[in-house]
This record gives sequence, C-alpha cells and structure tokens, in this order.
Amino acid sequence: MKDLLRLRTSLSEEIELLLNEQIKAEAYSSAVYLAMSSYCNRNGFDHSAGYLEKQSNEERGHMLKIFKYVNDLGGRAISPEVTNIPQEFESFKTVFELSLQQEIKVTGQLNRIADQCIRLKDYTTFEFIQWFLKEQIEEEYVARRILELFDLIGEEGTGRWQIDKQIPKVSYGESTDEE
Amino acid sequence: MIDTCINIVEVFRTVHGSVSQCDKTNSYILEFGDITNSFRATDFIDFTKRVNSIDLVKMILSSSSVTDVAVLMPPYAERCFVLTLTDTLNLKELLSGAKFNLHLNSIICECLRPHLYSI
Ligand SMILES: [Fe+2]
Ligand SMILES: [Fe+2]
Repeated sequence: MKDLLRLRTSLSEEIELLLNEQIKAEAYSSAVYLAMSSYCNRNGFDHSAGYLEKQSNEERGHMLKIFKYVNDLGGRAISPEVTNIPQEFESFKTVFELSLQQEIKVTGQLNRIADQCIRLKDYTTFEFIQWFLKEQIEEEYVARRILELFDLIGEEGTGRWQIDKQIPKVSYGESTDEE
Repeated sequence: MIDTCINIVEVFRTVHGSVSQCDKTNSYILEFGDITNSFRATDFIDFTKRVNSIDLVKMILSSSSVTDVAVLMPPYAERCFVLTLTDTLNLKELLSGAKFNLHLNSIICECLRPHLYSI
C-alpha cells in the first residue's frame, strides 16, 4: 500500500500542528506590538511608536516565513485567528516589560519545537527553526537593553522623553558600540 | 468508479463503516452509513481533524435541536454528513482506527524504503 500521508507532506502531524501554533504566536506578537505602537503614539512617545510598528512588521515577517515553509512542504498553513489583544497599558515602561516577557515566551515555544524536531527526527524543520532561535537572541537582547534605559536614564523630569529618543537606537551586534 | 477500482486496500473497518485507500487515484474512500465519499490525502486529514474537534459535551448538554447534530461538509462532496451523538462517536472510532493503520503503514514504508527501488 502506498504511503499517501508521506506523499502529501514530509511534515509529521505533530510538527505541522506546532508550526501552525507558532504562526499564531508570531501573528499575536505582531498584533500586540501594533497595539503598543498605538499606545505610545497617543501618549507622545513618537520614537517608540515608530520602533514598535517596525517590530510589528518584523513579527508578521516571521509569521509569513513559517507559513510559507509549512505550505512549501505540502502541509496546510492556517491563517490564524488572533484575539485578546491588549489595547491599554499601565505605563510607558510596562509596554517594554511586556514585550520582553512576550519574547521570552516565544523563545520557549521555539525551543519546544526544536526539541520535538529532534524527538521525531525531523532535521529539516530543526534546521529551519535555527534561524528563529538566533533571531530570538537579538530580540531578547534588544528588549532587555531597552528596559535598562529606564533605570539608566530614570523616568523623572525629561527622562521618559530621553528614553523614547534612545529606544530606536538600541540594536544588537556591531552597531551597538556606535552610540 | 470506486467499486471497480482494483487498487483498493481496506485500511480499517468497524460495523459502522470503513476507510479504504485507492493507490490508483491516491485517495481515501470513506464509507459511513449510507454515504460514500472519496478524499484527497490532505482533505482526509483535515476532515478527521474536524470530526475530532466536534464538541461531544456540548452535544450531550444541549437541549436545542440545532446543536443536537453536527453537520460536516467534506471538500468536493455532494452530500454532507449529519451526525448525531452516536454517529459522531462511531465515526471518531472509525477514523482513529484508520489513522492508526495509516501511520503504521508510514512507519513500515519508511523502514522498507531503503530496500526498494520504488514504493
Ligand atoms: Fe518573532
Ligand atoms: Fe519577536
């Protein structure tokens, strides 16, 4: 008897499910960053608003990358339903605390996918997911650095105004030393 | 067409129906109640997922006639499946048995592949 399941796709059902969950997680991140951008915008933190909008686009890019991978391998990528997006935030600082938490959560999920890939001997997806794991180093680094600005500069007086100005400049790698 | 195809292998059968595979058309054939439906592999998996996601508890607790039955329309089908609680349980049993055997077949093929020129 032919193996029709394998003819259809090289993705196992478990991995396909996990990747679809990740598609949803990236879409959720994208939507949350957009909500954060809006919050910053209406509270006068223009630089942060721009930075968060860019982040939102990046997360959508991540989503599409996985989406395409699933379809390319014969799987069924599912356009995710994204709900429960917070629209209000306690403070300027909370926005960035939440964004770090969100990134940490995503790193955890990606690690779990890598783990399952090894368990199921899916080295193709394991290789694919490496890019995302590397990306998370950067994402967590930047999120942490941004939070540190709140302590370094302090929120008193023109502090928040200055923090806002510095946020888009935080980056990982060579360019970090420039400022 | 379905009845005369000689490449049909039975995957799983219960008293309520059967799932077969046609190697010629690369499709699965589900017989359940008075419905016979042929599926492409990808649609079959999707259909199985949809059946498995039917909320049985909701069906049991419901007093309205709308949620008493689950209605599923498989892709490219002429008829839809109208499932009562018992139908749903029976169909779930049939599909999970079939799924088990299909995965077993995948594992066997995987083991045999290095020894065969074509499979
Ligand atoms: Fe991401
Ligand atoms: Fe991210």
